[in-house]
Amino acid sequence: MTIKALLLAAIIAAPVLAAPAAAQPMRPDQLAFKALYKQLVETNTSLSVGSCTGAAEMLASHLKAAGFDDADITLFSTPDHPKEGGIVAVLTGRDRKAKPILLLGHLDVVEAKRSDWQRDPFVMVEEDGYFYGRGTFDDKAQAAIWTDTLIRYKQSGKAPKRTLKMALTCGEETTYAFNGADWLAKNKADLIAAEFALNEGGGGRYDASAKPVGMGVQVGEKTVQNYTLVATNPGGHASVPRPDNAITDLARALVAVNTHEFPVQFNDTTRGFFTMMSKVAPTPVNMAMTALLANPADAAANAIVSQDPMFHSTLRTTCVSTLVEAGHANNALPQRATANINCRMFPGTDPEMTRADLVAAIADPKVSVSLTPPIRPVAVSPPLNEAVLGPMRRIAAKYFPGVPFGTTMSTGATDAIFLSPIGIPTYGAPGLFGDPDGNGVHGLNERIRVKSVMSGRDYLDELVHALAD
Amino acid sequence: MRLFLTAAMLAAALPAMVSAQAAPSSAADTASFRSLYKELVETNTSLSAGSCTLAAERMATRLKAAGYADTDIRLFNTPEHPKEGGLVATLAGTDAKAKAILLLAHIDVVEAKREDWTRDPFVLIEENGYFYGRGTSDDKSQAAIFTDTMVRLKTAGTKLRHPIKLALTCGEETDKAFNGAEWLVKNHKDWIDAEFALNEGSVGTMDKAGKPVALGIQAGEKVYQDFRIEATNPGGHSSRPRPDNAIYALAAALVRIGQYEFPTQMSDTTRGYFTETAKLTGGETGAAMLRLVGNPADTEANAIVSRDATWHSMLRTTCVATRLDGGHANNALAQRAGANINCRMFPGDPIENVRGQLIKAAGDASLSIEASGEISPTPPPPPLTERVYGTAKAVAARHFPGVPMLPAMTTGATDGRYLNAGGIPTYGVPGRFAELDGGGVHGLNERKSVAGLYAERDYLFDLIQTYAR
Repeated sequence: MTIKALLLAAIIAAPVLAAPAAAQPMRPDQLAFKALYKQLVETNTSLSVGSCTGAAEMLASHLKAAGFDDADITLFSTPDHPKEGGIVAVLTGRDRKAKPILLLGHLDVVEAKRSDWQRDPFVMVEEDGYFYGRGTFDDKAQAAIWTDTLIRYKQSGKAPKRTLKMALTCGEETTYAFNGADWLAKNKADLIAAEFALNEGGGGRYDASAKPVGMGVQVGEKTVQNYTLVATNPGGHASVPRPDNAITDLARALVAVNTHEFPVQFNDTTRGFFTMMSKVAPTPVNMAMTALLANPADAAANAIVSQDPMFHSTLRTTCVSTLVEAGHANNALPQRATANINCRMFPGTDPEMTRADLVAAIADPKVSVSLTPPIRPVAVSPPLNEAVLGPMRRIAAKYFPGVPFGTTMSTGATDAIFLSPIGIPTYGAPGLFGDPDGNGVHGLNERIRVKSVMSGRDYLDELVHALAD
Repeated sequence: MRLFLTAAMLAAALPAMVSAQAAPSSAADTASFRSLYKELVETNTSLSAGSCTLAAERMATRLKAAGYADTDIRLFNTPEHPKEGGLVATLAGTDAKAKAILLLAHIDVVEAKREDWTRDPFVLIEENGYFYGRGTSDDKSQAAIFTDTMVRLKTAGTKLRHPIKLALTCGEETDKAFNGAEWLVKNHKDWIDAEFALNEGSVGTMDKAGKPVALGIQAGEKVYQDFRIEATNPGGHSSRPRPDNAIYALAAALVRIGQYEFPTQMSDTTRGYFTETAKLTGGETGAAMLRLVGNPADTEANAIVSRDATWHSMLRTTCVATRLDGGHANNALAQRAGANINCRMFPGDPIENVRGQLIKAAGDASLSIEASGEISPTPPPPPLTERVYGTAKAVAARHFPGVPMLPAMTTGATDGRYLNAGGIPTYGVPGRFAELDGGGVHGLNERKSVAGLYAERDYLFDLIQTYAR
């Protein structure tokens, strides 16, 4: 996922250290899963040299070996992007009237250079209680778990009540690459149609001693929209400066954008999130959260909660300038100065409204503000559907007793943005726990605790059964 | 040369001036001058296809024909730049203790394409009172007048107390080319050492009828210096903006630098310029100029005079942002943002003093501000002495009666900057007048008024002898 780290537990005080549990020998079903997971991690699916198509074909062969018919499996790719394919598998349910559930994951991984890593990023190494390798966390653990669940269902001979669909796609990690989820939504909407989808984006957090401190389901995410600011000027020779200057005009606009703070907003998800956090956060943050929930206009409470950049971003639309450029020669007054403003819009925000907010904040007709393609659909948060969240919470209590459970909103974007327009509310499933250090996701030496994968697999398998049977 | 035009500053309606009166020259030596001028213009000395070395050799031949010994003439070039040579010639004086007067002119010209011009740019054509051709004005008119002066003085056997030196050099028009004047200062300063040098760099102004309005004498150049201002930041993902940001830190500093006004400074040159211009301008602005000459700290007078961008620039060091760059991706917080600040420093204003003021204006100690690119020398402006300025005016009173002489400071683009830095005070001599349309200098169909050229020649011949007596 584009943003892996959970909001959860960011400021939870570390509980008393628990002795790490001794590694237990793996069950036969776990060994079979591990082999599949390892094979997936070792199939390079980076954009530069890898092949999602190859990974999809490999998984298809496993599904067929487990008894899936050819008709149940759709391998897809486009002629322009032959290596950026994916797979959709369908396990038909007993009740034809019950609406299907979609299990979504992505096959592609962020680039990884062997020379930068301590171990080969495309060999899965188990060491010190961790699985190491690119994609071990993001997102091949979940992709392998979904595939494994379908295989076990098939092998059990007992079909779920509701049809289960699985879509594993390519292109999630690269903004301008071919995106399989987007392609399916636009070209194969019937194939993936479902009442709701489970995706990456949720999860849980360990403390430094691998004790779970919080977990959550991701319900909704912010959308990305880039804007372009342009200041123009007749320019001239730099030896005779004019009173007005394109760079200075742009700089003034950037200061205004920086000073502008979007108002605090809540939706059901973030209300749930901050309600949960208010119970575990230290004083005075906990009290400020309670006050802000009661009155989003409480400036003093806002100031305290917003000190944390993640909370700050969860509370509002944010816009930040990420690129600037101006001028054409050292000795000439600039004729044009431009900036990119990267906005993360609170779900439901119309990008034209945010443009109007930026224009008002800048308050200078000499600086133009326009939307930069791609223009993403307005994010609509899925409902807090108790039929989905209830089992998540209930099963969490069984596997992770005493661990606070909440709803979270991602400040970044996942493929969920493409399913919303075709009417599939998408939830980031809990289950996989990460470490406080971020697990090397998108970075070096990506890793995930063995126990996170194994307990997460058990949790997710039971969750799928609870939702589908 | 790249000029700092004074024409624009003058009020259009001025008292009618007496036209230039040419001191009588014999028909024979006028023909000789014209032949020399023609030969020089028709020797292509553009960097791409021409040869300054050939032009210098041709001038040397004429000097020798007039009686100069081989030892009086130094032809020079370097092995790396065989076609970019020049010459130095010396006419001995009668007083061994009297220092030389140096006549400096460049013989290279800006490129000219035959197909773009109405006439062949490297054929001297006289038409409708003008000489047409590349270099007819910049700077072969002056190079020809100086060489002709050396020829006439030798031919006539004129005895003068001061030696007179002539330096014809290449590379003035092209920034990165071999520069003969710079090379002489660095390698053979003894060849050109002088009490002071007369150079290009000043232009007088004419009205629409072609009558002289004012003569110019250039003394001192503003110094070109670039500075780099840069902000750095740990960066991060743009979905979670941090309170500190490289682009915003830079933008805020640029707004403050844009508002910063360097203090008013005066030199002999600008005092003289504003004193004379006050008379021509009159009214509130003229009065403000005189107040400012008396007290450079007069903020009210400063505000009035500085309304004009050119005068504003003449009164102080100016610094302006000309280029801007920052960030590396739309969706990442910038790790670095920087800008080029182009300064034109008042003559003698040290780089460290300007840098110190930029740092103070930026008001953010986390930013770095350093001089960048070529580090320019900052010589004090040549003094506008009675010997140089007073004599020039006295002689002008005979040739251009009633026409005032305005001291001028240019923005620093003649070879004078090398000589001033080398301790030879260098002045842009009076005598030439700018065409209202620019006369095609550096552009198409460059031209020089025939009458203007002869008047300039007569004036300079008189002036140089007056200086040298």
